[in-house]
Amino acid sequence: MAHLSLKNICKSFPGVKALDAVELTVLPGEIHALCGENGAGKSTLMNVLAGNLQPDDGTININGQQQIIDTPQTAFSLGISIVYQHLSLVDNLNVAENIFANQQPKNKFGVIQFDKLYQQTTSLLQQLNLSEINPRTLVSKLSPAQKQMVEIAKALSKKPSIFILDEPTASLTEKETTSLFSILQKLKSEGVAIIYISHRLEEIFLLAGRISILKDGKYQGTFLQKDITKHELIKRMVGRELVTLKAASHLQAGLLLSVKKLTAKRFNNISFQLHCGEILGLAGLAGAGRTEIVRAIFGADDFASGEIILKNEKLHISHPAESISKGMAFVPEERKSLGLFPEMPILDNIISGKLSNALVGRWYNRDKVKQLALTSKNKLNIVTPGVQQKVNNLSGGNQQKVVLAKWLLTNPDVLIIDEPTVGIDVGAKFEIYEILKSLAAAGKGIIIVSSDLPELLGICDRILVIKKGMLAGELLHSEATEEKIMALASN
Amino acid sequence: MFKKIIEERIYSLLVLLMLVCVIASLVFPATFPTFENFSQILLNLSIDTIVAVGMMLLLISGAFDLSVGSVVAFSGCLTALLMHSFNMPVPLAILTGIAGSVLIGLINGWLIAYKDINPMIQTLAMMGIVRGAALMLSGSGVQNLPYWFNAIGQSKLMGIQMPIWFMLITVIVFTFLLNKTILFRRYYYIGGNEKAADLSGIRVKRMKMLGFVLTAMLAGIAGILLSSRLGAALPTMGRGLELRVITAVILGGASLSGGYGKIPGALLGALFMGIIANIMVISRVSGYWQEIILGFILIGTLWLDKALQKKYSSNS
Repeated sequence: MAHLSLKNICKSFPGVKALDAVELTVLPGEIHALCGENGAGKSTLMNVLAGNLQPDDGTININGQQQIIDTPQTAFSLGISIVYQHLSLVDNLNVAENIFANQQPKNKFGVIQFDKLYQQTTSLLQQLNLSEINPRTLVSKLSPAQKQMVEIAKALSKKPSIFILDEPTASLTEKETTSLFSILQKLKSEGVAIIYISHRLEEIFLLAGRISILKDGKYQGTFLQKDITKHELIKRMVGRELVTLKAASHLQAGLLLSVKKLTAKRFNNISFQLHCGEILGLAGLAGAGRTEIVRAIFGADDFASGEIILKNEKLHISHPAESISKGMAFVPEERKSLGLFPEMPILDNIISGKLSNALVGRWYNRDKVKQLALTSKNKLNIVTPGVQQKVNNLSGGNQQKVVLAKWLLTNPDVLIIDEPTVGIDVGAKFEIYEILKSLAAAGKGIIIVSSDLPELLGICDRILVIKKGMLAGELLHSEATEEKIMALASN
Repeated sequence: MFKKIIEERIYSLLVLLMLVCVIASLVFPATFPTFENFSQILLNLSIDTIVAVGMMLLLISGAFDLSVGSVVAFSGCLTALLMHSFNMPVPLAILTGIAGSVLIGLINGWLIAYKDINPMIQTLAMMGIVRGAALMLSGSGVQNLPYWFNAIGQSKLMGIQMPIWFMLITVIVFTFLLNKTILFRRYYYIGGNEKAADLSGIRVKRMKMLGFVLTAMLAGIAGILLSSRLGAALPTMGRGLELRVITAVILGGASLSGGYGKIPGALLGALFMGIIANIMVISRVSGYWQEIILGFILIGTLWLDKALQKKYSSNS
């Protein structure tokens, strides 16, 4: 069984030292958590282990033997398997072909044995408690949570001795998270060395035996889980203390948005109201239809029947262009694929919600765009060398701030935000909550879709629970608990 | 400074062009650096460049159009036929020719944007259809065009041939539109991330259709200009033009995946190809070799570009 030991790993990119003398020792049969804010160097370290990047300095020892991991194939042959944060699945192939990509069972002529392929996939999915997924289903038909589980199955199909997971639960629901954790415990008992990366501290304290912390590429030490408190962990990751959320409500009397009997394929008879200054949460399991509901309200998807009334005006929206001009804004969950123009500079992203802000007289003015972007950068504390940077180069938290900055410039009355803090480090998370709170204080209405229950409980005035496309219940801030929400969301 | 040149294709291409011109002037001092030679180079690439401006617009938005070469022939033949066989007045015939091209662009754009047909398949099919239509209209070609029509492409203004003026005006107008109007800025967003553009309130389908319409319109204008310059409309006009134009635009900084490119890059790309071809003619390289060398230059330029960007990019 594998004993992994990294010593003095250094890696520099032009202008930034991503890893600075990092140490990490992972024992067989251990779940080792790796913590750090976005940009702390966790992903770089994982890429070094995966063979995608070469360290400038330092040694990697596996079972006491020094190894050079120069390609992903080498990592694979050394028994290292990684579940990436960003999915590596091919949408147009089915589940089985994805899981066994490039390692399909073959006969002696090199022809793929499909019956064997499907058998192996079925048994693997059963082990993972995923028997509801058909191995022949196209990956494009799966929900985000199911895709993530297939990704995990793919990594496990290689029978790793060193198993690395990068934010595996970001898109999972409670049910899948539970089965993932039981699989991890089983692998642990089989002697697999597991490195677990997550922003969710609850999970880390539930799973990990030891915790290593990175901050700005520097190693901050390894601690036994029982020796460190959540508070102390955050302090070492962030380097400062975080104030917990104040529950101050900014709810005002005026009615802002009223949704009446909204019905479409994925949801049915949804009615609710949103008031000025209110933060309204939409809770529910993944696939319950929450994203579909907010997309329909924003005009990104059609709906079959129902009414949307914004500020006493019945809306007939066929395209987001109209809802934006009426004062709505929508921050989608999939930041990179739906929310951002990743290859474009920050300033172009920030202006993209309302290009007419860039006009001086009749003409587009680059200097004005730069000015607006700089103002937003300072206001929302976007950490970047300059607004000309590609938004792709930013960390998740800063990317989300760019998306928020973009919509703040459209001066919306209603802000819809889907999974506001997925894949975002603790520090940036709280900054985003502060931004949302200040918007509410300014009288805006905010709808938050989130699977992070502490987040909903922390900032929402009211929480609607969606179950299988139906409104299952409504909880006020004062009465809501995780247990009550989960009870309404499941059965 | 050096980094800026590497990062912006327009600057790196400009530097490369100047370098090539200096070397060619030293090697061929009598034939290359003359007013006549440059005027001939520009005249030869004026038609391609007008089409390339439209193609640049499409590539910025992440699409391309293979039917432009056929549209060049179609609009020239249609206009010529109307004047020659139906005695239509010159301005009206020109307008009809342009309108016919716009209609082709409208069909392309509508099917691609609203019916989700792949741009390559759609414009490939249209390339055949329109070429066939041009043949049907003109047979082996239409000659004996009105004097005033021929004057458009054959006269000079301030010693410079009219097609060159048309090319410069097209480049300047579209450079201005893309830099200064929010309508055209949208193409960068559509090419950058189509779905995000839609959620940002950009009517992507409408804009895509407009892109194909404008490209076909520019190809139509180029076709009329070409037959005016030749004094005849031939159904074989613009054969292979689509690939030449796409090559020029890619050289000029566009990417097949969209989001990148500037209008002056279309001119510089075409100019680069024109100058290389010219040097090969002057140095008596055989016609066969010219095509081979141009192909290698395209591959080499893109390769070098990727290598330099990798080396100098500031992120991982």
